[in-house]
Amino acid sequence: MLRSLATVTHRTIVSVLCAVMLITTAGFWFAGAVAQPVIVPAFKGEQCVADTNLMRSDHMKLLDHQRDDTVIDGVRGAPYSLIGCVDCHAQRSDSGAAIRVDAEGQFCQSCHAYAAVKIDCFSCHAAVPEQARQIGLLPDNPMPHAEINRVMSLLKSTDYHAKEQQFFTTN
Amino acid sequence: MQKNNSSSPQTDKSLLARRRFLRNLGLLGATAVSSFTLLEVKAREQKANTTGAVTAEKRWGLLIDTSKCSSGCDACVRGCNEEHGIENEGNDATRAQWIRKIDLKDKLTGSESSVPVMCQHCDSAPCVDVCPTGASFKRADGIVLVNKHTCIGCRYCMMACPYKARSFIHETLTNQKPAAPRGKGTVESCTLCVHRVDRSEDLQPACAVACTDEAHSAILFGDLNDPQSKLATKMKEIGASQVRADLQLNTGVRYHGL
Repeated sequence: MLRSLATVTHRTIVSVLCAVMLITTAGFWFAGAVAQPVIVPAFKGEQCVADTNLMRSDHMKLLDHQRDDTVIDGVRGAPYSLIGCVDCHAQRSDSGAAIRVDAEGQFCQSCHAYAAVKIDCFSCHAAVPEQARQIGLLPDNPMPHAEINRVMSLLKSTDYHAKEQQFFTTN
Repeated sequence: MQKNNSSSPQTDKSLLARRRFLRNLGLLGATAVSSFTLLEVKAREQKANTTGAVTAEKRWGLLIDTSKCSSGCDACVRGCNEEHGIENEGNDATRAQWIRKIDLKDKLTGSESSVPVMCQHCDSAPCVDVCPTGASFKRADGIVLVNKHTCIGCRYCMMACPYKARSFIHETLTNQKPAAPRGKGTVESCTLCVHRVDRSEDLQPACAVACTDEAHSAILFGDLNDPQSKLATKMKEIGASQVRADLQLNTGVRYHGL
């Protein structure tokens, strides 16, 4: 009687241990089940500032290097700017409003969620392009004040895409 | 001892040789050091030429004509807030202020004046001295900035600043402007609209533009190093002083009529 009880307890312990091991290592055994990130094509622009593979592996190196040049030495207009990333990669919702690049499923966030890397950039930096920037107001191309006001009023009035077309055709 | 000091022709010669050797060594070292310094300066200049880095050739500053500034007008503050996306976030005690409008009254004469006070962009800035991480720094062209990537939010600089020019961000921010990244846990202050100035010298800081739009034109931006600049000629013409000149900080922001 005593012996059989011991065997039962022993069996229970072993099976519980096995179950615990299986549960804790489930991530390892079923890793293939994690969904691949969906990489949304850029909203605008035909060519990224560098090769796709390089951008995937080293975008932070490029950004970090240029960030120091810009903040400390005042170097402007170099190619690897975060504003530039957001400018091309921020998608637009149906209403024409820009969607944050760090929103769920968006360009930055989809990869970062997959790689389990937190993005810190956008707690300070803008995650959507500035309104005026959406119609091509880049740092190297300052527009006169009246022109900015004209374009801004166009943008505010109705649909963004139609107005963008209008802006580019009239200029 | 005396025996050692007594000079024989032999020791004289070797002493002389040693002296000559040491002198030559010193000369060689001095030449090497000076040529290295020269090379380094030249390399830095070349780097600035090729990369567009700012240099000490210019020193940006502001001239504030208090006789043109009117009490009750806060156009410069609004212009600054709009440019940098500073909204009425947080509460009154902790709200970020890059420019404060201050009304002054001389008790003896009763004369009143109103002045905007922002970061004075000191040449020898106390905020830069005390920063433990090097985040508070002065650019080669004299603009004093916070590198928020290295700022740990200790607020030593806020304690050190005699002009109360810096603010700490207490709350999580949203809707920042692309040209003005701002975030919780870091210190910030007037950047002299560095993003505009770097684009073109003709793009004056937002406060100066707002003041001109209000038809006051009390704020003038320009190069303090260039005696021909509009700023320098105006300063020479009407005269300007520093706030707390006794601290000998050589401020980049100067006031007329204080």
